[in-house]
Amino acid sequence: MGALPLPLNSPAQQELPVRQPRHTRLLALLCIAAALVATGAETWRWSRSALHRERPTLPVHTGAPITGVTELSHSILPMPAGVPSAHASSLATLPGGGLVAFWWAGSRESGPDVKVYASRWADGKWSRYWEVASRESLGKALGYGVRRIGNPVAWTALDGSLHLYVVATGLGGWAAARLVQMQSHDQGATFTVKRVLPMSPLFNTSTLVRSAPLALADGSWWLPAYFEIGYKYPMLISFNAQGEPQRVTRIGTRTQSLQPSLVSMSPTEVRAWMRDDGKSRRVQQAVSRDGGQTWNDVEATALFNDSTALAVLRLSNGSLLMLHNREDIDGSARSALTLSLSTDARTWRPLLDIVDGGAGDEFSYPAMSQVGDELHISYTYQRRAIAHHQFKINLQGETK
Amino acid sequence: MNLPDLMLQIVYGRLAWALVAAALLLALLPVTARRTKVLIVAATAALMALPGPASPAYWLTLALQYPSGLLLGFAVMALRARWHGRQPRFAMRPGLALGLAAIGLLLYLDTFGVLALGLYYGGFNPVAAPLLACAAAVGFAVNAWRGHAAAPSAAMLMALLLFSVLRLPTGNLWDALLDPLLWSWALGSTIVAARRRLAGRRALHRKPAQAGPDLVAARAARAE
Repeated sequence: MGALPLPLNSPAQQELPVRQPRHTRLLALLCIAAALVATGAETWRWSRSALHRERPTLPVHTGAPITGVTELSHSILPMPAGVPSAHASSLATLPGGGLVAFWWAGSRESGPDVKVYASRWADGKWSRYWEVASRESLGKALGYGVRRIGNPVAWTALDGSLHLYVVATGLGGWAAARLVQMQSHDQGATFTVKRVLPMSPLFNTSTLVRSAPLALADGSWWLPAYFEIGYKYPMLISFNAQGEPQRVTRIGTRTQSLQPSLVSMSPTEVRAWMRDDGKSRRVQQAVSRDGGQTWNDVEATALFNDSTALAVLRLSNGSLLMLHNREDIDGSARSALTLSLSTDARTWRPLLDIVDGGAGDEFSYPAMSQVGDELHISYTYQRRAIAHHQFKINLQGETK
Repeated sequence: MNLPDLMLQIVYGRLAWALVAAALLLALLPVTARRTKVLIVAATAALMALPGPASPAYWLTLALQYPSGLLLGFAVMALRARWHGRQPRFAMRPGLALGLAAIGLLLYLDTFGVLALGLYYGGFNPVAAPLLACAAAVGFAVNAWRGHAAAPSAAMLMALLLFSVLRLPTGNLWDALLDPLLWSWALGSTIVAARRRLAGRRALHRKPAQAGPDLVAARAARAE
C-alpha cells in the first residue's frame, strides 16, 4: 500500500512554536481552500436540489372481480441459431400497447458468450430477436471489463423511454454481480449505458435484479433488487421519473429471502413477496405501511417455494396474480408453474396451471405484464428457451 | 442520490489507479533521483491510459472498482513525501487506522446482512452525507492549519473535495472515505500498533523489578 509520508511529531515539537517549512504552510493553505470549495459546492448543489417525494400509486379498482383467464396463444420466443441456453425473461409494455421481452442466452449460464436479447410483440407475434448487451459491449461502454452477463429487468417510463437493468459480474461468480443501468429512447432498438449502480461498499459486488419494477404515483418507480453473498436479503432502489436513482433501502431484516416482487396496496401500504432460500420452503413476505420507507417482515405465506423465482402483478381491477412454482409431488421444485389469485394479498387460490412437467423439467423465472384486457406471461422453458402465453382476463359479468 | 457521470468515473479510475500504483512502486523501490521518480509516475500513468483491456486499470476496475478518494489522497501525499526525499511509512497513524478499521467493520457487517442498519445507503442521503462531508472538511482543514497530521488531513480533504465537487468516485460518501483495500491497510496498521503497544507494556512491567534497587539506592543517597 502507498506509504504515509508524515514525519512523526514528537510531543516537544507539538508544544513549541516551531516555524513550519514553506511547503507545509502551502499544504495547510491548500487544505483551507479545499474545505471552502467543498462547502461551497455542497451549498450550491443543495440550493438547486428538488425534493423527491415518493408515493405508491393509488390502486384503481376498475372492473368486476376476475373469474379466470382464457388462453389466446402460446409460443417460444425466437432464439439465435446455435444458442442452446436461455433464462430469466423480463417483459415491459411499450407506448401504444406493444410489449417487449428481454432475456439472456448463450452456450450456458455464466458462459462468456451470454448476451441479453430482445424481441418485440406486435400484431400477435414476436419479432426477430436482436442483441442488446454483451460483455464486450458493456466493457467498452464502462471502460472496464465485465466477466458475465445475467438477469435483465426492463421498465417503461411515462415519457416512453425504456430502462434496462442488467446483471454484470466483476471477478467471480454471481456473488460478484453488479447492476448496469441502460436507457433507450427508441423502444429498445438501441441502448446507451448510463452507469453501474453503486450498491455495496465491497467492490460494489453482489447485488442482482430479477423482478419487475413497481410504478409510483408521480411516474417514478422502485426497482426490486437483492444481495446474495452468504446472507441473502431483498432491497429496493428508487428512481425518479427521469430514471435517476434516488435512494436504496433494505426490505425487512430476513437473511434468507431474495428476488422481491412488489405491489402497492394503498398510498401507504406496499407488500413484497420473495423467493425463500431457507428451510421453511414458503413464499416469504414483508410489508411497508409508510409508503416504502421502512419495512417489516411478515410471516411466510402458505404457498410452496423451494428457492424459485416468482412474479406478482396487480391487475387494473385491483386483483393480485402470482405466477410461481407450486409443489409438484411427481416432479421437482421447478417442474410446475401455476397462477394464483388473491383479492386481499393474504389468501391465495390457484387459478390455473400454466405448465406441469415431470422430474427434471424446468419451467421457472416467470414474468407477467397486463396489456389492456390481456395478460402476458413469459418464463424459462427447460433452460433452453423462453416461453410466452397470452391470456384474456375474464371479469365477472363479462361475456367470454 | 447524486451520482457522477460515467465518463468522469472512467477518467477517475485511470488516474486514481495510476497514482496509487505509482505511490506503491515509489514506496517499494529504492529510488532517490527525482528524474527516476518522474519517469516512474509518468510510465504508470501512460500504462493506465492505454485503451481497453491493454490498460491495467481496465482489469483493476473490473475486480476492485474504483479506489476511494482517501486512498487516492494517501497515494498523492505519499508521492509528495517521496518527492521531498522522505522515507515511506507503511503503517497508518494508529488513531486514524483504528477509526477506519472500526467504521469499515461496521459498514461491511451491515452490507453482509449481519446487521440491518442501512449504513451504506446513508452515504447517499441528500442531507446527512453533504453535511457530514462539510463538517469533516472544516475539521480536517483546521487540523492541517494547526499543523497536526497535515498529510492525513490533506488526504482526507482531497477525498472530501472529490466527493463534494464531482461526487467521485461513486456518489456515496462511504466510497469516498473507504474501500476494502484501504480498510485492510487500516486493519493491518491497527494490529501492528496494538502489538507494539502490548510489547511496550510488557517491557514496562518487566522494568520495575530491575529498577528497584537503583531507586532504593537513590533515596538512600538523598537521605545522606
